[in-house]
Amino acid sequence: MAGNFWQSSHCQQWILDKQDLLRDRQDDLTNFPDDEYQKVHIFYCGVIQAVGEQLKLRQQVIATATVYFKRFYSKYSFRTIDPLLMGPTCVFLASKVEEFGVISNSRLITACQTVIKNKFSYAFNQEFPYRINHVLECEFYLLEMMDCCLVVYHPYRPLTSYVQDMGQEDTVLPLAWRIVNDSYRTDVCLLYPPFMIALAALHMACVILQKDAKHWFAELSVDMEKMLEITRVILRLYDLWKQYDERKEILSLLSKMPKARIAQPGQSSDGKQGSQGGSQK
Amino acid sequence: MQKYEKLEKIGEGTYGTVFKAKNKETHEIVALKRVRLDDDDEGVPSSALREICLLKELKHKNIVRLHDVLHSEKKLTLVFEYCDQDLKKYFDSCSGDIDPETVKSFMYQLLRGLAFCHSHNVLHRDLKPQNLLINKNGELKLADFGLARAFGIPVRCYSAEVVTLWYRPPDVLFGAKLYSTSIDMWSAGCIFAELANAGRPLFPGNDVDDQLKRIFRLLGTPTEDTWPGMSRLPDYKPFPIYQVTTSLAVVVPKLCPKGRDLLQRLLVCNPAHRLSADEGLNHPYFNDLSSAVRTG
Repeated sequence: MAGNFWQSSHCQQWILDKQDLLRDRQDDLTNFPDDEYQKVHIFYCGVIQAVGEQLKLRQQVIATATVYFKRFYSKYSFRTIDPLLMGPTCVFLASKVEEFGVISNSRLITACQTVIKNKFSYAFNQEFPYRINHVLECEFYLLEMMDCCLVVYHPYRPLTSYVQDMGQEDTVLPLAWRIVNDSYRTDVCLLYPPFMIALAALHMACVILQKDAKHWFAELSVDMEKMLEITRVILRLYDLWKQYDERKEILSLLSKMPKARIAQPGQSSDGKQGSQGGSQK
Repeated sequence: MQKYEKLEKIGEGTYGTVFKAKNKETHEIVALKRVRLDDDDEGVPSSALREICLLKELKHKNIVRLHDVLHSEKKLTLVFEYCDQDLKKYFDSCSGDIDPETVKSFMYQLLRGLAFCHSHNVLHRDLKPQNLLINKNGELKLADFGLARAFGIPVRCYSAEVVTLWYRPPDVLFGAKLYSTSIDMWSAGCIFAELANAGRPLFPGNDVDDQLKRIFRLLGTPTEDTWPGMSRLPDYKPFPIYQVTTSLAVVVPKLCPKGRDLLQRLLVCNPAHRLSADEGLNHPYFNDLSSAVRTG
């Protein structure tokens, strides 16, 4: 559904405050100081992307799954639920919500096994350890944690209409689109409305391609400071990518991952009840 | 779940049992809809997810309010605002007579709820009297968005009860796969006639064939001239050419001429020519609507 963003649960409940976000992540940030936390997120977003592609999902479904993943770990620590289980669960739920249809149990698990084996063997020295019953249990916690806010707005649609308005479709759109894709590797989807992210990506694309769009942007009555904040976050991501080799570093990063309460069969530390504090209400 | 005391079973929904219950703290009466999760394959059923998704975003006085979603061990319970009855039960209780003011008020509220859904690109797709809730203040609310899906309307719902064909437009009966808001407008028309006749359904067909025959006998069989593209619909088959012989004045004798005009504009076989919800709200039939309903 494409409704009114301003009245949506996304706008009213899920645009977070940066200070709150830092506070809620304190536990994980102690384990993963500095850039390490973001590197772990980048890695699991990559897993979600790969599983989604393996299942031939549209990019929008993958983007929704990524936002679900980020929402969950914006409130809860990695020690609550193993992100390797949460990632595929987000894909499973997003495909139902985005009306892609239900992915059958065996397809989902097979896709995860294939992807872990073929694409991420450098990060895991064993097979994908979960079964569908783990995914279904995890789906429950995910729904509860998000307070059932399932409709997610993305920057793609506003981006397309801005570019049309600007009249620069052929040149600017592909690059701006890629920048939006990259933005899902950062926290901006938790902190800013999608149309602001679209504008920031568009602005960056114009600068890179040396298109003069000053006039067009000047006519918008948007908070330029916010737009520049988004730009800085994305530029930091590009810096980080430049000096980081995931294949070399990820194994040692993942070894610092706390044991999750809902985790691999046989590894669970204190029984199966995983949701922190139980019911939210 | 400790928060609510179950009072009585109200009915069976698309995907689970519905109970009337009382909030123990506030004493507020609510409806609890329990989602069955026994279908191992799907996890939380997509019909339930769809309803949760939509009702979380659609907040309007003519759409049933989802107060809360409760999670407990392997169970999901949706907490809805409670309404005293649905329109079908209302029909049963009013023993053959509904005053014209009430008909107008219900129809206006139905169109207003639909206009809101449609402005958010949401189609209900399964409108029928059982899905319209009425509370004791005479407010009407759209409910049961569980079947509102993007593709295909299931023929059977969860409890294996056959979904009624009575409110389905001819394009859907001919197998059209692409739905638009016009699907709900046809159903609204059928419900309007049923309201005007105090609960007598307009087209109570037994199967797809019988359903289409009943429609065409009243409205005349459409042709490629009145409905271009009709014969290319997936399940199209030719029907006898019925001419219009009965006037709507005979079909809905208690409805005023302006009301009949509105009905006529909703019951159009060609979906492209059916009135929209917004247009319906602006129809002269509602000119003398009481301001309490209009603003209420």
